[in-house]
Amino acid sequence: MMLKKIGLASLIVLTLSSSVSASEDMKKWIRPTEVPQPKDNLLTPERIELGKLLYFDVRLSTSEKISCATCHHPKRGWTDLIPVAKAVGHEGAVGPRNSPVILNSAYQNRQFWDGRVRTLEQQAVGPIEADVEMNMPLEVLIPKLNKIAGYKKLFKEAYPKSNGVITKDFLAKAIASFERTVVSTIAPFDKYAMGDKDAINVQAKKGFELFKGKAHCTDCHDKFNFSDGSFHNIGLNDGELHGKELGRYLVKRRAAWYGVMKTPTLRDITKSAPYMHDGSVKTLTEATALCANGGRYSHNVKNLSTYVKDRGLDEQEIADIVAFMKTLEGEEMKLEIPTKFPQ
Amino acid sequence: MINIIKIALLSLLLSSLTYAKNHVIDQRGKTFIPHELSVDVGDTITFKNSDDFAHNVYTDDEENEFDVGMQAAGTSSTITVKAEGKFIVECAIHPNMLLVVTAIE
Repeated sequence: MMLKKIGLASLIVLTLSSSVSASEDMKKWIRPTEVPQPKDNLLTPERIELGKLLYFDVRLSTSEKISCATCHHPKRGWTDLIPVAKAVGHEGAVGPRNSPVILNSAYQNRQFWDGRVRTLEQQAVGPIEADVEMNMPLEVLIPKLNKIAGYKKLFKEAYPKSNGVITKDFLAKAIASFERTVVSTIAPFDKYAMGDKDAINVQAKKGFELFKGKAHCTDCHDKFNFSDGSFHNIGLNDGELHGKELGRYLVKRRAAWYGVMKTPTLRDITKSAPYMHDGSVKTLTEATALCANGGRYSHNVKNLSTYVKDRGLDEQEIADIVAFMKTLEGEEMKLEIPTKFPQ
Repeated sequence: MINIIKIALLSLLLSSLTYAKNHVIDQRGKTFIPHELSVDVGDTITFKNSDDFAHNVYTDDEENEFDVGMQAAGTSSTITVKAEGKFIVECAIHPNMLLVVTAIE
């Protein structure tokens, strides 16, 4: 039951591994056999199911119109497919950033674009309280949830120590448990990495070689998740960032963090346009050219990442890399979106 | 008498210099090698960047706070451990890189 809920994708990988095997140089691209999870919040079917209900429940917002899924929806690539979180926040509020994809967040050890928290438990309650998002103070939400008998029962089953008393800690743990199961499904590239040489076409294979080599994409988009969790200013804005996005520099005024944002996963990247933290890049072709050919303003960007260089890619090579990235699109995720919620 | 004091102070200084050690931490494959280190207060740690891209080693530990800044491929930076305690050293670019330092007097 637990494997069915949380490790379907992993299970398929294990099945694949029994029939084909990865070569040594492909091992770093293979999906880990387990989803990382903290010892004090191990995954159980009850926790995942409870977290899923909370994730889709609009009653967690002040307006009762917005849920976590509003901006991070499974049918919209676990984001909202708009440049910034425009007109989806509380009373049409506009968020300052492109809603980040939550796919494979379990594999990241810093959450949000600016990495301001480490764990999914810390992340889970942030958007609930944010005034431009769900705008729900926890001192209002917690008593509200404690009046819903159905939720109290589910919390008691998922977290017996709670004894059915819902707290911020248990709320965060439940939502994080569901988020931890939002893992990319098997993609053609996974089959290729496991040894099925026909799983991707010739152009995608060329693209993969460029991705690892000339284009230096793996300097940041590395390993199974196609992100090493690193932070970079890739030159979306020119010069000083007066009035613009300061990125992780807002968390702490560290010189290396001026204008930097976290490297996103490339898994299912075809499903989550537009791209970048400001949603200013519409296509994968544009994104690839921007990252691998020197940034948008490569000559005058303060704290431009030393990783962003003109790699001299021509149009065909960029098309090859895009063809490769398309092989990271997984099979449709089997997820039953709840329509009825605890009363 | 003054000469004796001078000699004693000089001996003290020399002995402290003699016992301060330098520890080398390699940054390779976006990992600190080793990723755990025991040191004495006053020891130095040299962070060597063996990757072919930049790193930026720092700690936010109150007693031992440092930030070596952007460290280009192939370069090294050295810091001195100022206080006892256990603290975590990270890379500002690659937060998956973690080094646990235990410093004793």
